[in-house]
Amino acid sequence: MGLKRNVSLSAGLRYKGPGAYLTYILHRIGGLGMAIFIAVHILAAFIGGRTGGFLNGIYENWAFQIFIFFCALFHAINGLRITILDLFPKLLEYQPEAIWIEWAVFIPLFGISAFVILNTALGG
Amino acid sequence: MEVTVKIFRYNPEKDQRGNYVTYKVEADENDRVLDVLEFIKGKTDGTLSFRRSCAHGVCGSDAMRINGRNMLACKVLIRDLGANITVEPLLGLKVAKDLIVDMEPFFDNYKKVLPYFINESALPENGRERLQSPEDRARFDESTKCILCAACTTSCPSYWANGEYYGPAAIVTAHRFIFDSRDEAAGERLQILAETDGVARCHTVYNCTEACPREIKITKAIGEVKMAMITGKLD
Repeated sequence: MGLKRNVSLSAGLRYKGPGAYLTYILHRIGGLGMAIFIAVHILAAFIGGRTGGFLNGIYENWAFQIFIFFCALFHAINGLRITILDLFPKLLEYQPEAIWIEWAVFIPLFGISAFVILNTALGG
Repeated sequence: MEVTVKIFRYNPEKDQRGNYVTYKVEADENDRVLDVLEFIKGKTDGTLSFRRSCAHGVCGSDAMRINGRNMLACKVLIRDLGANITVEPLLGLKVAKDLIVDMEPFFDNYKKVLPYFINESALPENGRERLQSPEDRARFDESTKCILCAACTTSCPSYWANGEYYGPAAIVTAHRFIFDSRDEAAGERLQILAETDGVARCHTVYNCTEACPREIKITKAIGEVKMAMITGKLD
């Protein structure tokens, strides 16, 4: 038998799935982002000193905060959608609509929050 | 119209890895991708290998990745794809040659869910068939449409990551029998699907539902199996 069954990350990402596939990918990135945030936070507190200060600088940076807020908010809203659809399988028929609602909730919430973070960081 | 078709090629006797070969073909916009592949095999390059059988969307043998998405080559028209088409084998199954993948692991997973009718009770007194109301039949109508083309299973990221996952097609088949009022092995199947490689690996990505050429609402069927597993109810 020939080529392996392994699917590379790039081959998986190139698959043209529907809208839910994008949310699946962003959900994973969100989870990874939060794990990085927590790891940096714990390391900064644990190590202390100059290295701890450097790590503090990373997670207090406004760009990092916007990224982490994106991760946490998207992960939470998407997780809520998945939980609701898992509990009520009949609603799975309306998955595309559920994703539109998810974006309709996420975009304004994230937009306002990002504006506030940016405004505080640069303006004040 | 002239169509540029980029096809994944792999010959296990010569190649260490696959490569892409581009063909330029004159095609009608109402031709199907399968027509184009057959034209290339017949007129340009006889070594091109792919599966096909009925060529009318019933047998499911020509499932492949067309422009990055799983489809049946016999059901997709050139006019819906444009002049540039990329054809690749399904993901997550070993490539045997060109567009042909090894379907054995797919059918091994399929067999695990007991994909056949089980009823040990005696036949009705008149000795004829076990009757069922139209409502009971409608309960699993959707999942009887599966043609085992593997388009759903090979579009699933959980299956890409773990070939032991039974996959959407096997679960849809299990759904067909679990919700059949005449079948008596629903509990056994639910137990099988509750194992590590069962329905828990479904993350409602929805690729399967989009890929299904029979428009089966696969994610919904998997959701119903999950709920039956939790509640123990089949209504």
